[in-house]
Amino acid sequence: MRDSGRLGPLLVAPALLMVLALFVYPLGYSLVTAFEAKGGGFTLGNFAKAFEFYRVDIGFTLVIIGFSTFLIGLASIAIGGYLTLGENPRAVALLRWLYRWPLFIPFVVAAQCMRSFLAKNGLMNNTLVGLGVLDVSQTTSFLDWRGIVITFVWKQTPFVALLVAGAMASLDRSTIEAARNLGAGRLRILFEILVPQVAPTLLVGLILSFVTMMSVLSVPLMISGESPTMMTVDMAFRINNYGDYGTANALGFISYLLTAACAWVYLKRAVRQ
Amino acid sequence: MSRILALLALAGIFAATPVAAQKATLNVVTAGDQNMVDYVKDFLAPRFEKTNPNAAVKAVGTGPGDAGSQKIAEKLQAQKNNASWDVDVAVIHQKMAGDLVREGLLAPYVRDVATGRLVSSEASKNALGTNVAGYVIPMFQSQTAIAWNPALVKTPPKNYDDLAAWAKANPRKFGYNGIKGGMSGVAFVVGWVYANSADADKLMKGPYEASTKANWDPALAKLKEFNRNVVITPGNAGTLDMLNRGEIAMGPVWVDMFYTWMADGKLPPNMRLQLIGPGMPGQPMYYVIPAKAANMAAAKKFVEMATSPEVQAEGIVKKFNWYPGIDAQHVKSKLDDKTWNKLFVDVTPQELASKGKTFPIKQYFDDILESYEKKVLN
Repeated sequence: MRDSGRLGPLLVAPALLMVLALFVYPLGYSLVTAFEAKGGGFTLGNFAKAFEFYRVDIGFTLVIIGFSTFLIGLASIAIGGYLTLGENPRAVALLRWLYRWPLFIPFVVAAQCMRSFLAKNGLMNNTLVGLGVLDVSQTTSFLDWRGIVITFVWKQTPFVALLVAGAMASLDRSTIEAARNLGAGRLRILFEILVPQVAPTLLVGLILSFVTMMSVLSVPLMISGESPTMMTVDMAFRINNYGDYGTANALGFISYLLTAACAWVYLKRAVRQ
Repeated sequence: MSRILALLALAGIFAATPVAAQKATLNVVTAGDQNMVDYVKDFLAPRFEKTNPNAAVKAVGTGPGDAGSQKIAEKLQAQKNNASWDVDVAVIHQKMAGDLVREGLLAPYVRDVATGRLVSSEASKNALGTNVAGYVIPMFQSQTAIAWNPALVKTPPKNYDDLAAWAKANPRKFGYNGIKGGMSGVAFVVGWVYANSADADKLMKGPYEASTKANWDPALAKLKEFNRNVVITPGNAGTLDMLNRGEIAMGPVWVDMFYTWMADGKLPPNMRLQLIGPGMPGQPMYYVIPAKAANMAAAKKFVEMATSPEVQAEGIVKKFNWYPGIDAQHVKSKLDDKTWNKLFVDVTPQELASKGKTFPIKQYFDDILESYEKKVLN
């Protein structure tokens, strides 16, 4: 027993060193450089520049990701709800088999697929025109903010749905049966019985999705060239075109703050519960 | 942070290389897309190793765009005080070449290389305002131009003014990728500023004055207006994709990408190019040899081979559709007329000489991009 006490720190050391070297050090480094002037010394200039150039993009990023998160929440409740309450076993099995696919597709691949799928003369519109639903003159390109939202929702919904469906499946079915016996419809059961009980899981899923989407560069870069754009694109642009790590890190710092605020809401809720 | 990680990764690659018993390993480090690495690895390396059995060429890529060149510069700066450096030949962008020469990190090797006499272009002497004569040989010259679809456009515009009028009359039929999605859009914007201000010469040659950018306000206001009638595409490839699908009728592209896509069947063969006046920018990439390259002699031999008329004809022009890095007349005799004409049918050599501009010197370049962000995007 005494030996294991001495061995403990030794055993944890490699993991700890990894975390320090590959996470804590780069994080600290980028936080410090956000406040560093080009020649050295403390400055808030990087933040002034970030706000001067990119305040619209910061707002845009929040709106796009907030809206995507909302849609992901709705879609995953719908999927989880049908998996739990669906009455057609074949449809349930099919949905269960299908909905997880995007989970295994990287963002960059999803973006590449959407890029040709959502274009004006892309696969989606060509199919609709071929089916006679749309006329060629009515087609529009979705390669703008809508394309970003569609890609995010498509890619992140399975992740949240997986958590939510799992949580719903593990609930005590007697509450559902009781409600059903008293004549409640499926929609009412979903929103009044299931969702309140899985809310903490749903929230964790949505927060993790939010944070993931904040860090994605490939989707906004490949789907839309329009302005405003997302903060990740601005960070890459600052570094690649100006070699300006200061402003890029200031933008990074701002996005830490945004995700930290999100995490704080969650923690506060968790503590209250 | 990412700089340090990149250096660590590079160091790892080099450290992992087993030192062959007698063979000298020639490290050729190239910025740019994967096709650049493939070119060194699959095309240049076997040729070099055939005539130099004691050398093994090792190709390393540092990533696309100026960021790739930046990594090479950071690696050289990091080993500045070592006795010898492990980069023997580097391929870098124009923007970084000036910095490296000024910092004394490059060898003045051109006088020792026979092919050095075959280069007389402006790009071989001047890199965005810095005198680099003697330190660089262009690997190739690439150029931007307006690609247009003859099925949708009868006569292409001849200059920026024509183009602006055409875009107004044909809303959302012109597309370019802004400045954050790749260099063809950046080149279009730079050309716009050249065309709509009186500063073009000063922007390309210097000297830098911080107040000059105030002169561009009318040009940028006009560009903001222009942007209302055009499509902003997602990236260099995004413009070509949209041209291919007939969603736009015109857009700025890199000439080499245009021909490569066409050869791959990703663009209809009837698409054409027009280099509009007063001019659009292009840029070379340079072969350079670091000042303390470990295998200096072999490095010189390598660059000599890579810039020989045969290799320039076969590799640069025929395979990659780039304009040759050495003077064109030395390359022409090595190629059949068909290949040669393909490259010059839409953009004649005379046009290339008069309307092929360079990018601005670095400070002006940054000013143009920042002004665009501030005045056009906001």
